[in-house]
Amino acid sequence: MNADPQTPAPPAALATLLARLRAASPGDAGGDAPGAAPRPRGQPAEARSAPRPADPRDRRAVPADHRDLRAVPLDADRVAVFTAAATAAGLIVHHARGTAWLPTVLAVLEKLGARRILLEPADTTAFRAADAEVLAAALRAAGREPLVRPDDDTLFEGVDAAVAGVAAAIAETGTLVTASGPQTARGTSLVPPALVLLVDPAQIVGDLLDYFADPGLATALPANLNLITGPSKTADIEGVLVTGVHGPGHVHGVLRGGGGEPGGPNAPRTPVF
Amino acid sequence: MDVALFVTCLTDTFYPRVGTAVVRVLRHFGCRVHFPTGQTCCGQPAYNSGFHAEAAALLRRMTAVFAGYEHVVTPSASCATMVKRHGPALLADDPAAHAAALDLAARTQEFTRFLRDVLHVNIAAHLRLREPATYHYPCHARAEYEAADLRGWLAAAGPPAEPAHPDLCCGFGGLFAVDLPEVSTAMLGDKLDSLRAAGASLIISNEAACTLQLEGGAHRRGLPLRFQHIAEVLAESLGLLPPDGGADA
Amino acid sequence: MTASDLRARLAAGTRAARVVAAVHQATWRKVAQRDAALAALPHAAALRDRAAEIRAHVLARLPDYLEQFVAQATARGAQVHCAPDAEAAVRIITELAVRRGLRLAVKAKSMTSEEIGLNAALERAGLRVVETDLGEFIVQLDRDRPSHIIAPIIHKDRRQVAETLVRALGCRYTEDPTELTQIARRHLRDIFRRCDLGITGVNFAVAETGTLVLCTNEGNGRMCVSRPRVHVALLGIEKLIPRLADLPVLLKLIARASTGQPLGAYTTLITGPRRPGDPDGPEELHVVLLDHGRSRILAGPHRDILRCIRCGACLNACPVYRNVGGHAYASVYPGPIGSVLAPLLDGPSHADLPRASSLCGACLDACPVKIDIPQRLVALRAEHRARRPRAPRVGVRLWAWVMRRPWLYRLGQRVLRQMVRDDGDGFARRGPGWLALWTAGRDLRRPPARSFRALWNEELRDER
Repeated sequence: MNADPQTPAPPAALATLLARLRAASPGDAGGDAPGAAPRPRGQPAEARSAPRPADPRDRRAVPADHRDLRAVPLDADRVAVFTAAATAAGLIVHHARGTAWLPTVLAVLEKLGARRILLEPADTTAFRAADAEVLAAALRAAGREPLVRPDDDTLFEGVDAAVAGVAAAIAETGTLVTASGPQTARGTSLVPPALVLLVDPAQIVGDLLDYFADPGLATALPANLNLITGPSKTADIEGVLVTGVHGPGHVHGVLRGGGGEPGGPNAPRTPVF
Repeated sequence: MDVALFVTCLTDTFYPRVGTAVVRVLRHFGCRVHFPTGQTCCGQPAYNSGFHAEAAALLRRMTAVFAGYEHVVTPSASCATMVKRHGPALLADDPAAHAAALDLAARTQEFTRFLRDVLHVNIAAHLRLREPATYHYPCHARAEYEAADLRGWLAAAGPPAEPAHPDLCCGFGGLFAVDLPEVSTAMLGDKLDSLRAAGASLIISNEAACTLQLEGGAHRRGLPLRFQHIAEVLAESLGLLPPDGGADA
Repeated sequence: MTASDLRARLAAGTRAARVVAAVHQATWRKVAQRDAALAALPHAAALRDRAAEIRAHVLARLPDYLEQFVAQATARGAQVHCAPDAEAAVRIITELAVRRGLRLAVKAKSMTSEEIGLNAALERAGLRVVETDLGEFIVQLDRDRPSHIIAPIIHKDRRQVAETLVRALGCRYTEDPTELTQIARRHLRDIFRRCDLGITGVNFAVAETGTLVLCTNEGNGRMCVSRPRVHVALLGIEKLIPRLADLPVLLKLIARASTGQPLGAYTTLITGPRRPGDPDGPEELHVVLLDHGRSRILAGPHRDILRCIRCGACLNACPVYRNVGGHAYASVYPGPIGSVLAPLLDGPSHADLPRASSLCGACLDACPVKIDIPQRLVALRAEHRARRPRAPRVGVRLWAWVMRRPWLYRLGQRVLRQMVRDDGDGFARRGPGWLALWTAGRDLRRPPARSFRALWNEELRDER
């Protein structure tokens, strides 16, 4: 049953698997119908392997929409929810109105002691080419070295921090979403030890359920989509929490408020991803 | 109201005082109590260990022994579960036996559930505790339909004393206790630590198997803990039993 | 494997005091974290019901969803392979690696890869294989085995980790977890730069879009799927969910059940290899669908076990696991899930594992997809009995025979009372014969002189 690795699953191998599974088609085999009243624990439905009659509940459709189970109400202040959840997850959140994003980012980079900074602007984010130019100029003026599209060696050895935008944000969990694309590399939000992500508050979706229910998401998935919730971490050694394992240990989110409104309850916006 | 007592093999053998307490409490609340003398065991240990033919035989026998009684009451939460939940499926192959098992299941009730749901007794109102007490829920009865509200009744009767981990298994597990005795004993140690954290001297339960395990472990370690069935506590509170003294009251 | 082997292994587990202490501390902490996280989650119970529904629904229509997944993944540039068993999966991956001239493989934590014994095969084919999850990295350096499906070195303390790194990497000795982690980070960073093959498992596969979902925390998983030119994802066929919209129901539960977090640090959705214009990413994405017994389980009464999302919550909740540790199960999957899966996947060598449970149900309470593990264990025990009708371990047959005869039962009670000799206070410290199995660890109350039946006949029946 070997598959030639050069080609997609040969119909034979897949067909055989599917045929075997269809022969195992349930309704006659055992198993609970979940979502029904909880079956008492320990009940031996198949103690003697007696076949059960087909239970139509086994094949009933799952509800199409799960958003009745949301944690973040539709009228919630998404910026406030995001800030609280992100902070709890270890993301450092900054709020910057108008042009204040620039000194905010500079201050963060200064505090990180970053000298070589990777800039990755993208048209569809809150960090566009014009922003990158402004930031680059300011960095050079301060004796720092901005980089774009570094080679691998530089990325691994020579970059202290990366600045980029995001594809979306999720208030419920304080999550920032990065997407791979022509302007956005996977390594940017992964390799450098520190990460500064610029966010337009309008990009913040309320609940995980909202984010994934967006029909536009399924049709526009990139090859690599990351939901980033705080710094990289582990607790493998005696359960002691350590941040900054292989991904960045310092993650900052800068919410670029518009000139006026503080990002309160809005009509749901469609995120790019 | 006529009630047949299903006393269970462990209670019959090790805790006859619990049976006495059940009888007197039921009579106190107006029941006429019968004791079908042919009763032995519901087969639960065999069932849990996978000896389903043997368990089925014992269940089948039980349906005959308890035929004709409108109510069957047992002081063991796990035995009630056995009869009500596992019995019918065990006899599924034989339509007549299956029907008898379903019928017995419908007529059988754990003691406190019977008091509360059939006799409408307010158990908390009758409890008088003379020492700090905490509770142990037997695992096989934690499903909602069998659980006695031990925590709630104790809380109503006095300041609550919580074990460190209320739902922790005592380690008995049926034949598990002697099949894998080292693990059973290790689990018992954890459970005793949890109970001691409650700071109580009396542990109240509704399961003879757990009590056998818990008091055996407490006695081995010299812990100053007493174990009683909720029926005993209730009977003492109602003046139907003298306070516990001796194995044979 | 004899019946006593399981007992011996578990007993030895209870005596490994340092491991038992470490596992106690870790599991109680995880239980508390899980409980707190779920208490703070709105609609937690309904989400759990929904998650169980989603997973059961997929299993009921698995061939349809698999077909959809394969079509979608292929349309987005993935190469999908079907492996009916472990040997096929190993062969597919090894041949692929050799054919592409791959030399250095990095692995994210994948219990499925342990299930099929992949590492050894790749090494025999000349590749260097490096585990990159911190716990698995330590395990690999120690030639040890993981003891928990989420926290591989739950059985080790910092001193042991320090000794491992000093011995394997020649670094300086430190017991500080942060410094130890940094040592591992520096070492693995170099590996990430040079690797050409990334091997991961998959937490969820979305049929609607052909997407692979990885839930991780350290960043090593992301490295494995972005750095090397070939990414191989090993996917147990049961890991599917129907649509993207179903994913958050499971995401809301898996990290909370596993580590008490609302969400892990990285939830990565992979839909095909690098796209034209992508600055980085794997050139090739290979998805190896693994059957290896799953279709057989699907056809049988234990199908519900395939709902498992490998969160590890059942291990954290289990009082048996807590007192023996993962190694005592001698199985890729320890704990409650392992006690069901191992006999089903591996048959005879793990047929005894269902005994390792008091059926307390803590696992069922903890399971985000409501698998009734105690029910599965009782059913497996019954199947085991049916296959070996002449081998009861304790005289259950005899006992049942006695119990059907009231006069014998009463005789048995008197015999028992004779066997249980107490020290004057109503408890026996030592029992003869099989009673010694009890009294080894606890005292036994002596049956009172009068059974309830005797009390009834002599007093109670006619009492007013």
